[in-house]
Amino acid sequence: MKALALLATVGPMDGSEERSEPAALPLEAAKAGGLAAFELLMRQHERLVLVTALRLLGVLEDAQDASQEVFLRLYRNLNKAGASGNLPGWLYRVTVNVCHDAQRKRRVSASVEDAGELPAPSADPQRVAVETERRRALEMSLRMLSQKERAVLVLRDLEGLSTEEVARVLGTTEATVRSQISKARVKVRDFLERYFRRRT
Amino acid sequence: MNCSDWEERIALHAGGDLPPAEAAEVERHLRECAGCQVLASGLKQSLALLKEAHHEPLAPAHFSAVRARVVAELEQQQRRGSLWARRRPWGYGLAAVAVALLVMLALRPERIPVAATRQPLSNVRGSDVSEPRTLESGMVPNRPPPHRRVARRKVNREPAPQPEPLIVKLQTDDPNVVIYWIADRKKGD
Repeated sequence: MKALALLATVGPMDGSEERSEPAALPLEAAKAGGLAAFELLMRQHERLVLVTALRLLGVLEDAQDASQEVFLRLYRNLNKAGASGNLPGWLYRVTVNVCHDAQRKRRVSASVEDAGELPAPSADPQRVAVETERRRALEMSLRMLSQKERAVLVLRDLEGLSTEEVARVLGTTEATVRSQISKARVKVRDFLERYFRRRT
Repeated sequence: MNCSDWEERIALHAGGDLPPAEAAEVERHLRECAGCQVLASGLKQSLALLKEAHHEPLAPAHFSAVRARVVAELEQQQRRGSLWARRRPWGYGLAAVAVALLVMLALRPERIPVAATRQPLSNVRGSDVSEPRTLESGMVPNRPPPHRRVARRKVNREPAPQPEPLIVKLQTDDPNVVIYWIADRKKGD
């Protein structure tokens, strides 16, 4: 009953992460035991988890597997995650750890074409071509980076976390983050320059 | 200062990671150095491209697939949990029986001879016959005597028409130690 009452206060499910919505409500409802409440919690944070995993792993299927593992860990550790007071931070940390574990097990890199989504059939072909090219450039440039550099660049530049937050998520110092992010940016810039020069 | 020394700071500046004083220093250098200007604009362009690509939305089906898999896994776990809950009385009963058996095994007397058999003297080798004591076959002494290693010696057997003594073989926990109890038989036994 408590779970249902809390659910009723949360509002509609639109399938995307709602940053403005207070995260505590579905978290408390999920702790009260409802799968429906937990599903709502997943909807709120699924973009964070799946897109981060996709950037770190580069393959959609692997990212989905990693996301599944992250949410199962969240379900098992709802109290711990809630007690951290920063659920997105907890999720970023677990996502990075799960992806690093997956990378260690995988070792074999998949083709770049597997990453990301397939365009809708009705989309403008020229726009689709530009987006596909851009996505390909993103995936390939992330592959040029070491595991740590990639994690730092994804969290700092793509997900927009502060240097301090990145350091906390990765369990390192801000100085290390700054050193890694500057190297990663220069590597990406060098790669993209070569990539587009070859294409034109 | 060499331009390569500026590279790290220019890269940090491109992402807005420098404190104001250092950022002003980098901007001053950029106004004077054409090579570093190219590096800085390249860094900013590549970051902008990455961010644009990153923020392209994924198809909702990719998210719902993950959600469905997680919910299915959790439902399965809950079913397994409720199945265990239904079987719990049986589980507790079995556990109690197992504990009782373990306690019985733990309290078992340690040095009970496993077997006590009668053997004729002709089968006995190296027996100590100096202190014959009476013991009936199958009897268990309250305190078993300490294990003694006995020297081998020949048993002088005289062809006297004496009745064969009673031999009781006691096996101990140590397979190398076997105790023989030998008792004289009175005539008529």
